[in-house]
Amino acid sequence: MKPVETRLARLALKGDQRAFAEIVDMYKDKLYHLAYRMTGNRQEAEDVVQETFLRVYKNLDRYDENQKFSTWIYRIATNLCIDRLRKRKAVYSLDAESSEHEGLDGYAMLPSDDRTPESELLLSETQKLIRGAIATLPVKYKSVMILRYLQDMSLQEISDVLGMPVTTVKTRVHRGREFMRKKLENKQ
Amino acid sequence: MKCNVAVVFMHDYLDGDLAREETMQLQKHLGECSSCSNRYESLERTEALVKAFPIEKAPADLGDRIMKSLPSSRRPKAWTSWVRRHPAVSAAALFLVVMLSSFVSMWNQSQELSVSGPDLEHVIIEGKKVIVPEGQKFSGDLVVVNGEVEVLGDLDGNLTVIDGSVTPLASTAHIAGEIKTIDRAVDWFWYKVSSFFGTLAYGS
Repeated sequence: MKPVETRLARLALKGDQRAFAEIVDMYKDKLYHLAYRMTGNRQEAEDVVQETFLRVYKNLDRYDENQKFSTWIYRIATNLCIDRLRKRKAVYSLDAESSEHEGLDGYAMLPSDDRTPESELLLSETQKLIRGAIATLPVKYKSVMILRYLQDMSLQEISDVLGMPVTTVKTRVHRGREFMRKKLENKQ
Repeated sequence: MKCNVAVVFMHDYLDGDLAREETMQLQKHLGECSSCSNRYESLERTEALVKAFPIEKAPADLGDRIMKSLPSSRRPKAWTSWVRRHPAVSAAALFLVVMLSSFVSMWNQSQELSVSGPDLEHVIIEGKKVIVPEGQKFSGDLVVVNGEVEVLGDLDGNLTVIDGSVTPLASTAHIAGEIKTIDRAVDWFWYKVSSFFGTLAYGS
């Protein structure tokens, strides 16, 4: 028996809107979380999620049922995030560390919008530290770390999503983990 | 065990990717080396903190907004996907359409008189009438489009008349080949096709 998503994707391809709504429901929070951590900005995260579902909808006929649906949808979302970060970099050169705010580069200083949900207010100091550490991760480690820790993916799945060898994913996880460790230890 | 090897083992262990044998070696090293054991604790703490990071939920209305932003019809998509799946048939159909339309446009264009043959100095054209005069000898095939033909002399070849007429032959006339009169689109089409293949076959 095919996984639920695959069956839903098939129904959606035949024009069943409810099936697609089901897919949206299953993935919208996960993708939003991914996009928010990648871009560090709520509005951009929403845009990425919308764009991802639009692309999925338009390309349902190209979905290869031999690969996991989650791999496919995460690949689209991750690529959109990486594209945005690249474009941003080109414009503002956000990678340059600011001298006033030690250890914070432009990504961390991008204004996130005014809406501060309750979950944000309840964040502990440690959680704020972690958020800051994730935000300052270089892009190539960021995508790997977010997929690994915030989406709970195996190294193999990450390698499928990002289209890179498992050994590369592994190296990036190790470097990302060290990066996070240093950030968190220094602040404690 | 060297400390740099131990660090690699730590990461592999945290990845759930370290063999039993090596795990034991790592454990032994951590018991002996305080800097490595500190490092391992710090990595483990980081790991736990990051894993426990709360999930950020999407705004409640995001799902509805996504559903509303979708294009309403999938129809045009279905058509293009059919084309993608049957490239050969699509190419053949496209070819047919182009061929047909070019034939139709050629058919509509040809309202003017045109005469073709290898030996045109031996014909006289008066208005819409093409005459092979008495006593003259026209050698080769004569093709006349949109005109009348009157043969008084010798025609040493085929006579083809498209969308026109042939005046009954005078007694002096002599035509060596056959006379073809074509005045319908289908016949004309057939004539074009067969002459096209004739050119291919004989190269003229």
